[in-house]
Amino acid sequence: MLYKNLEMMKKLDEFLPEIQKPARYIGGETGSVMKDKSEVDVRFAFCFPDTYEIGMSHLGMKILYALKNNVPNYWCERVFMPLPDMTEQMRRRGIPLYALESLDPVSEFDFVGFTIQYELCYTTILEMLDLAGIPVLAEDRKSLTPIVVGGGPCVCNAEPLCDFFDIFVLGEGEEVNLELMALMERCKKENSTKEEFLKLAAKIEGIYVPSLYNVEYNENGTVKAITHAPDAPETVRKRIIRDFDKVYAPENFVVPFCDIVHNRAVVEVLRGCIRGCRFCQAGFIYRPFREKSKDTIISQTKTLCQNTGYDEVSLSSLSTSDFSDIEGLLSGLCEYTSKNRINLSLPSLRVDRFSEEVFQKINDVRKSGLTFAPEAGTQRLRDVINKNITEQNVLDSVKIAFEGGYTAVKLYFMLGLPTETDDDIRGIYDLAKQVVEQFYANPDRKKGKSPSVSVSLSTFIPKPFTPFEFEPQDSEEEIRRKQKLLMDYASDRKITFSRSKYEVSLLEAVLARGDRRVGKAVYLAWKKGCFLDGWDEFFSFEKWKEAFSECGLEMSFYANRRREYDEIAPWSHMDFLVSKEFLISENKKAHEGKPTPNCREKCSNCGVASKTGGEICRAVG
Amino acid sequence: MPLVNTRVFFSKRDRAKYISHLDLAGVMQRAIKRAALPVWYTEGYNPRMYTQFMLPLSLGQESLREAVDMRLLEQLPYSEVAERMNDALPGDIRVTEVGVPVFKNTDIAAAEYEITGELDFGQFREFVGREHIPAEKKTKKGVSELDLKQHILFVEVSDKITIRLPAGVDFNINPQLVLDAFSALTGSTAAGSHILRTKILTKNGEEFR
Ligand code: SF4
Repeated sequence: MLYKNLEMMKKLDEFLPEIQKPARYIGGETGSVMKDKSEVDVRFAFCFPDTYEIGMSHLGMKILYALKNNVPNYWCERVFMPLPDMTEQMRRRGIPLYALESLDPVSEFDFVGFTIQYELCYTTILEMLDLAGIPVLAEDRKSLTPIVVGGGPCVCNAEPLCDFFDIFVLGEGEEVNLELMALMERCKKENSTKEEFLKLAAKIEGIYVPSLYNVEYNENGTVKAITHAPDAPETVRKRIIRDFDKVYAPENFVVPFCDIVHNRAVVEVLRGCIRGCRFCQAGFIYRPFREKSKDTIISQTKTLCQNTGYDEVSLSSLSTSDFSDIEGLLSGLCEYTSKNRINLSLPSLRVDRFSEEVFQKINDVRKSGLTFAPEAGTQRLRDVINKNITEQNVLDSVKIAFEGGYTAVKLYFMLGLPTETDDDIRGIYDLAKQVVEQFYANPDRKKGKSPSVSVSLSTFIPKPFTPFEFEPQDSEEEIRRKQKLLMDYASDRKITFSRSKYEVSLLEAVLARGDRRVGKAVYLAWKKGCFLDGWDEFFSFEKWKEAFSECGLEMSFYANRRREYDEIAPWSHMDFLVSKEFLISENKKAHEGKPTPNCREKCSNCGVASKTGGEICRAVG
Repeated sequence: MPLVNTRVFFSKRDRAKYISHLDLAGVMQRAIKRAALPVWYTEGYNPRMYTQFMLPLSLGQESLREAVDMRLLEQLPYSEVAERMNDALPGDIRVTEVGVPVFKNTDIAAAEYEITGELDFGQFREFVGREHIPAEKKTKKGVSELDLKQHILFVEVSDKITIRLPAGVDFNINPQLVLDAFSALTGSTAAGSHILRTKILTKNGEEFR
């Protein structure tokens, strides 16, 4: 008999009609997996530390959910962060955080797993654990279950989270998640202790057990040494899928009852990125570059669309236009999608491969706004960051777009990039201005129409495992000065600017390169009431500032300081395949203003190919 | 191509009672797509799958009798349509009947509900026996005063309440309004009660088909 916690359902029925969008708190959607609890041996509560609408749009969660549920005696369920109207009722009525399939309390699960996609979700993790009635500190959890596990890009430096998690999963989760479930199955049968489980887990490649490592600090606050217990490896290497074309892909999604951020089918086309933009963490930590075959992608698209009933499908990757046979792929897909009244949407198309043919194909299906990300205003600075786009590339693509009837263009830039000068900042406006002029250069433009160019300015955030991991983030005064400089210089009203909050970028920078001591600040900030820090309406920088000063830590130490090449990074016991030597040489080249060819033109020996045996990285030729 | 007007009746219970009326169209359309039923799309620049729902149900209320119209592009056995849709729908929505539309949307005049749960039924019986039951109804134009007593078309109270109220595009009384009035006038709570729509009726009291 498929199981559902009826008692919980009854409690929820008492107040859910009064809650905003209750459909996101009740489960039962098509595609959600229900099981007979008596036949399940290991239960995994997959938590996304953000709202239902955001978490349900995330592909990684869908993959691991389907993968684990494919095993008959494993049951993986979904958990999201409820909004305050819900949490208030839950706390008042003594209802703990529950999973959406069984409606069972999260504390009853064997694993409580979080996917950690961005730094600003750290306090939300603590809030969810607390709502579940699970002690937030790992040392206060003595029994074998639940094991609190984290994965996702942020675990490349999980140090600020070490106090709260029992284990982290590094790299791609498809294989290692099942290995972990199997280990738990065995340990439960054998009545193992938590310590025994953790020691065995540490032997699995890609598993980081933070309690088996010890960190010492120098007087100046930098890391002096990281030592490991005999049961743990000196460095933990991330997992990768070697045969990517055969990697597990879900045949069905949980299709939500209510609208979410991306309510559509998503098919992954490639992993890794050939570009090597020096500020981009994803471009390094997801290497090596691997593609699925065109036929695999097309057949997965068909299966997924049929099973979900979605009328929109999107391709997912860091840079879809780098797919080797992108035009062949789009033709094949369009044939199916247009016949079946399905919209094909293509995020992350790059500006320099934005050919007329590709444009025609996306234009056939959907007309939305166009976005380009030159990131920096001058060629000099784009060479520094290795953003391989020329002004001509941007203008050519914009020209095609304007001729195709578009009038709105969005341009993304960063302020505070290494070596940035005032000329680079004025260059941002100059480039935007040229885009405007490109519109008027089109003889066929509709009379009476004018273009709108919106420029989005974010603050550069140095991230681990990038060539810029050594770089300081600009101070608040410096960023404000640069913003003002740009505003004073700008005169064309058709160009509008939006900018990110400095405080948010600062916090992100601190957490991204934080060490274990930062965990204390995360804890205190949460105690003071921080959660959903990525949401404007909930973010309180004041509380964070208090938290840091109460534990005697300076944010500037983590964010605004240049780090020597030989400094021991808090994450130096993590191995993400890319070598530190490579990052240093890329950093030096950046300061010399020298670009690096993309991986398809030439392999730059980043370390990935040599560590994985050469055959895996498919970037070259 | 023949266009076969088709009316699908379905129930909406348990977890599905939290699907809003607005979201229900999407849920149903994706199910139709999964079921690969040949249905008609509107014409024009932005073609949409044609579905037309009758009589919105409030969030949190359950129903045995919901209806949606669609147009099939070919004649299919109704049992097959029901079967294919049930395979594609979430478990808490079940197609109960498929047929040719007999009445128009505007023929709907009333609906019948069953109210169960933790409620003082004796007190409720007294309550509906009053001469007047004043209540405030929120409409688009604001709040209007009305006497519910005049609008209760039928009521029977045992260990559950069976109540018939006006329903339709022009005038609609939500059974929740009756429960709210009950709480307001007697001070007795109706918080633990469940509302289940059991019938949709026409002016002549016939079952809407
Ligand atoms: S091994 Fe070479 S081709 Fe592969 S990601 Fe590294 S630099 Fe690029």
